[in-house]
Amino acid sequence: MKLKTGATLFATAMLAFVLAFALVGCGGDANDSAADGVTTYTIGVASPFTQGSVAQGQDIKRGAQLAIETFNDSDEARDAGIQFRMVEGDDMGDPKTAVTVANTLVSDSNLIGVVGHYNSGASIPASKVYSDAGVVMVSPGSTNPDLTRQGLPGVFRTCATDDLQGPAGAQYALDMGYTTAVVIDDSTPYGEGLATFFAEAFEELGGEVLMTEKTKDVDTDFNALATRISAENPDIVFYGGMYNAGALFSKQLTDAGVAAPVMGGDGIQEQDWIDLAGDAAEGDYATNVGAPIDSLPSARVFVEDYEDRFGEPAGTFSAFSYDAAMAIMKAAVEASAEVSSLTSPAGREALLDALENIRFDGVTGEISFDENGDTNNKIISLYRVEDGEWVFVDPASIQ
Amino acid sequence: MDIFIQQLVNGITLGGMYALIALGYTLVYGILLMINFAHAEMFMVGAYVGLFSLKFFSDPEWGAATLGLEGMQQFFTGSIFGLIIMFAIVFIFSGIVTGLLGMLIERVAYRPLRNAPRLAPLISAIGVSIFLQNAVLLWVDSRAIAFPNVFPVVNFGYGINSLKIFIVVTSIILLIGLDTLVSKTKMGKAMRATSQDRGAAQLMGININKVIAATFFIGPALGAVAGIFHGMYYGAVIFNMGFFPGIKAFTAAVLGGIGNLRGAMLGGFMLGIIESMTAGFISTGYKDVVAFAILIIVLIFRPGGLLGESVVEKV
Repeated sequence: MKLKTGATLFATAMLAFVLAFALVGCGGDANDSAADGVTTYTIGVASPFTQGSVAQGQDIKRGAQLAIETFNDSDEARDAGIQFRMVEGDDMGDPKTAVTVANTLVSDSNLIGVVGHYNSGASIPASKVYSDAGVVMVSPGSTNPDLTRQGLPGVFRTCATDDLQGPAGAQYALDMGYTTAVVIDDSTPYGEGLATFFAEAFEELGGEVLMTEKTKDVDTDFNALATRISAENPDIVFYGGMYNAGALFSKQLTDAGVAAPVMGGDGIQEQDWIDLAGDAAEGDYATNVGAPIDSLPSARVFVEDYEDRFGEPAGTFSAFSYDAAMAIMKAAVEASAEVSSLTSPAGREALLDALENIRFDGVTGEISFDENGDTNNKIISLYRVEDGEWVFVDPASIQ
Repeated sequence: MDIFIQQLVNGITLGGMYALIALGYTLVYGILLMINFAHAEMFMVGAYVGLFSLKFFSDPEWGAATLGLEGMQQFFTGSIFGLIIMFAIVFIFSGIVTGLLGMLIERVAYRPLRNAPRLAPLISAIGVSIFLQNAVLLWVDSRAIAFPNVFPVVNFGYGINSLKIFIVVTSIILLIGLDTLVSKTKMGKAMRATSQDRGAAQLMGININKVIAATFFIGPALGAVAGIFHGMYYGAVIFNMGFFPGIKAFTAAVLGGIGNLRGAMLGGFMLGIIESMTAGFISTGYKDVVAFAILIIVLIFRPGGLLGESVVEKV
């Protein structure tokens, strides 16, 4: 009996070995095929795909995918003899998983850059891993200012930050005549940061914050809180957080008889917010980083291509993700003119240098980065739910 | 005072859902001395089955209407009478499907381990839980799905509305029904006998496999009802929705005395009310702190839970 168990164990171990080698073998095939003069580099796309903010995660993945497909077909890439391959990493919006994903991605020696992550809580811990490995990271959606202020080289973003978004929201709210607010956040780095920036600016600009309260991003029951808010009778309720929990919050607020609209940041400006909150979403506001892509002349081709390719309209973060991937690829082409391989230490240095100084016309406007690695494109727009759709609110109309 | 009553109403509604889920934990524990961690997933599966059957009957762009049964759909959504029948069908159907799934899980994952050390079925339960979550994640949707908003909500003031009344009243009816089943019927007697001494019960001619299967039908069926309530009340279902309510309901079962049905009901309502009161009058961030602090205090003074008997360890 004992012998039999031993034999089984041995066989299992052998099988595991064989499988492991087979897998390594598969990985090897995808390595750069320098023989025909074309080098293939890997670009990682890390976002929540199965859990958490999957709506934005999907937008980010598709945006990057479209950028890579478009760029691989362009003369720019052909002339430089460079092609790019996309590898996905599902961080589930979770900080721990994000670090695991980051480590898995950098273990690929062909990886030169990463588009991601989405949640600030995931981006911040992951950025250390990429920076240590000499891989550049361009986040299309992490808006917490701390991300690029850790002193880590190679951390960039194509979206504006919450220290602009929060105060912009406060200004819009006051301009529209809402003078008292209740501020709620979801205890994530993103939500907490955004809510704090909003509350500070709101008071500074002359508004009154009646109450601040923390919830959790996994909460579903907000009835007790909603009842409390109904007693405060605010003009507006600010929610720093994501659409999944926030939509339920908005619905329960309405059920509790709170007539005040909810305002949030980029994390709630999703169709899912309206689908989940139903009629309660009507009249809710969201600020978002960047100008609405439908209105940008620079995005017209992108919006069409995106819809052709995926059959769904592009989201805000698809555009940021497209630009993030483009920035990495354009910098890679530039850097490869100076060094033979971008995966060598000198090559990684050259890529970082090229990305710091990059300047091109992207989908969301001119793409360039300031000394921290933040985008110089600092537009914040306001949206409102009207008849079950997010509609852009022209700032001129609310003054 | 006004706010106090509203918070009490919130707490009782939440508590009703906790109590329904807690019964599933307590029933299984009472009979098998095993914590069925997959029970939270029964709640989730129940909500999904409820969601899709409700959509089938009521969504004009989905299900029955596309099969050329518009007439049936109009009957169900057109009048109060139709709505009552539709909800009855949805609840019963979801309860049966989830109950059968519970029996299947018992047959496949727990029965082979019935005489194994107590840790084995526990691990098996965790495995089933992970499997079910990921199955829904991959085969249904990873995003939250909105629950059809067909229940007519009428407000009566003090935060009381028709949906809350429906949830609380149905919960209480089911709790009383289960209590009667266990204390008055022959099946209940068999269940109690099995929980006291499985071996002796078998010797007295009780088919314990049947009793255990019945337990694994009733628990998940009640969980499914709670799942549909959860969907109707909060307006959305998602694959990991079972996790926190599951933990809370398990806490409620322990608070009331695990293995004791009335204890689970008491624990469920207590936990719901404590949570709402804390969130309403102290802070949302402290609701779990206060709830679990009370659990710890109760367990220090009454290790068997509020209504549980302190069992002297047999030597």
